[in-house]
Amino acid sequence: MITFDNVTKRYADGTVAVDGLNLDVPAGKTVVLVGPSGCGKTTSLRMINRLVDPTQGRVLLDGQDVQAANPSVLRRGIGYVIQHTGLFPHRTIEDNIATVPLLSGWGKAKARTRARELMDLVGLERAMARRYPHQLSGGQQQRVGVARALAADPPVLLMDEPFSAVDPIVRASLQDELLRLQGDLRKTVVFVTHDIEEAIKVGDLVAIFRPGGQLVQLDTPERLLGFPADRYVEDFVGFDRGIRRLSFFAAAGLDLDVRAVLTRETTVAEATQVAKGIGEQWVLVIDAERKPCGWVALADLESAPETATLADLSLVGWGHTFRPDTDSLRAALDATVLSRTGRAAGVDADGRVVGVTTYERMRAAIQSAEEAAVERQSGWQG
Amino acid sequence: MVWSWIPQNIGQILQLTLENAYLGVASALIGLGISVPLGIACVRWKLLYPPSLSITSAIYAIPSLALFVVLIPYTGLSDATVIIPLTLFSLCVLVPNVVDGLRSVPEPVRQAATAMGFGPLRRLARVELPVAIPVIIAGLRVATVSSISLASLGQLIGVSSLGYFFIDGLQRDFATEIFVGIAMVIVLALVADVALIVVRRLLTPWQRRHLPPAPPSVLTPASASREMAEVS
Repeated sequence: MITFDNVTKRYADGTVAVDGLNLDVPAGKTVVLVGPSGCGKTTSLRMINRLVDPTQGRVLLDGQDVQAANPSVLRRGIGYVIQHTGLFPHRTIEDNIATVPLLSGWGKAKARTRARELMDLVGLERAMARRYPHQLSGGQQQRVGVARALAADPPVLLMDEPFSAVDPIVRASLQDELLRLQGDLRKTVVFVTHDIEEAIKVGDLVAIFRPGGQLVQLDTPERLLGFPADRYVEDFVGFDRGIRRLSFFAAAGLDLDVRAVLTRETTVAEATQVAKGIGEQWVLVIDAERKPCGWVALADLESAPETATLADLSLVGWGHTFRPDTDSLRAALDATVLSRTGRAAGVDADGRVVGVTTYERMRAAIQSAEEAAVERQSGWQG
Repeated sequence: MVWSWIPQNIGQILQLTLENAYLGVASALIGLGISVPLGIACVRWKLLYPPSLSITSAIYAIPSLALFVVLIPYTGLSDATVIIPLTLFSLCVLVPNVVDGLRSVPEPVRQAATAMGFGPLRRLARVELPVAIPVIIAGLRVATVSSISLASLGQLIGVSSLGYFFIDGLQRDFATEIFVGIAMVIVLALVADVALIVVRRLLTPWQRRHLPPAPPSVLTPASASREMAEVS
């Protein structure tokens, strides 16, 4: 657990980088500090490992003031990852990773064994162990940076815009990798970024700073999108926050329709009767294994010979599906929007149809999720 | 050219070449020994650098013969009378190179080293100086070649070096001897330069450019799509 206790950083020229910061970083959680440049987020991060010392206030690590610790010893217990990696160009990948174990006197053999384990952990081929940083791509270098930070298994990890210098595709894969690692390792992570999307993706909690070094709001990503504290936060989180917030609501809350899901062997007469009976304009056709085959419109059913089966008709592609058990309402809405029929099929892990959602059903699910969130929020504030 | 003069005097040629090499190389190495701590100090205390630069440049402007003469009352006609001025001259090249070399260490590298828990001295010894080696050796090459060339002037005050051939050749009006002297200075400078290139390569294996490019890491989408492309 890291605690900022009324921390201020004022430079000699009078600039205030951080202004009266109070912030708790719970153990095992990822807290993202986000804001425009000059908002004090990086300065705050660097006060944890004493690359910067506060002018006023205290930074506590597990209750101990970091000012009381020997800086070098303190830093060996805190992993650090930065934007331009800061890998040592004159050391091989394995020796870069083994830096802190070697500094802590582990002995070369043990430190190198550890380096190899970490290469596996962050998804680097062991063949790269003897290479030098400049021989690796930007994304690979950043993985080495993460491995180096984790080498001595520190409980705390500081990440200063770690993925800002790589292209968007590599960045996304590094973010996914971090989430996977954090799921296993449960480090106390402080992550600095200027990218609110990244903050919302990787953070358990997001702290939004404004220029002048003030913390404006500390909240979960979902609450940040749903209940921005003020106009500044609202502008900062972006214009489509309502849609993005649906990522945090489970699609399991959707009430799926199973009545208009019919097998290929169903006759046109039966299908027409079902569709009319429930007032549905589209029927989802599935095969014997319940895999989707496509949609058929009520109008087409009415013009088809009654004795034909659904297999005989030409179908509209079923488009994107979603997983009610694992996906969010955002994914379900996306599948619905992308579908030509305004409907999307929910499937299980094996791709078998479990039901169909419509705009109407989406609306109901979003509304009840919103209501639950508002209830939680008022409970939170009360 | 009187070619037969060369084999007849090969012993003397080699002897003077070695003496010349000793004077030049010793000066450059002592100069390096002074420049590294001085350069470190100039990076650490920035105010020290401009005066250091002015003083070393001023020294460099003093004619070498004048410096020899100034030193004779103190060090006599010994090797030191040549080595001390050449060492001082080498500082003019070496100090800026040590400073530039240390400043060439990228800021993220320096910062990462600090954040990993290197203290200032360990960071200097294990990160900053090793990374600065290419720039420092580049300066050492210039200083060595220049010292080897200047060392021949020691002959003017009787310290034996390849300069002997220039003076003797001039007095005897014997061009072959002068050409041999010039040729040996050039050969010596080239050998020293190549030796330093070899030293740099040994010390900086991480700088070699002919190593194979990195294979993509297993987990990047780019490599995944490439693998898929290969499968299909």
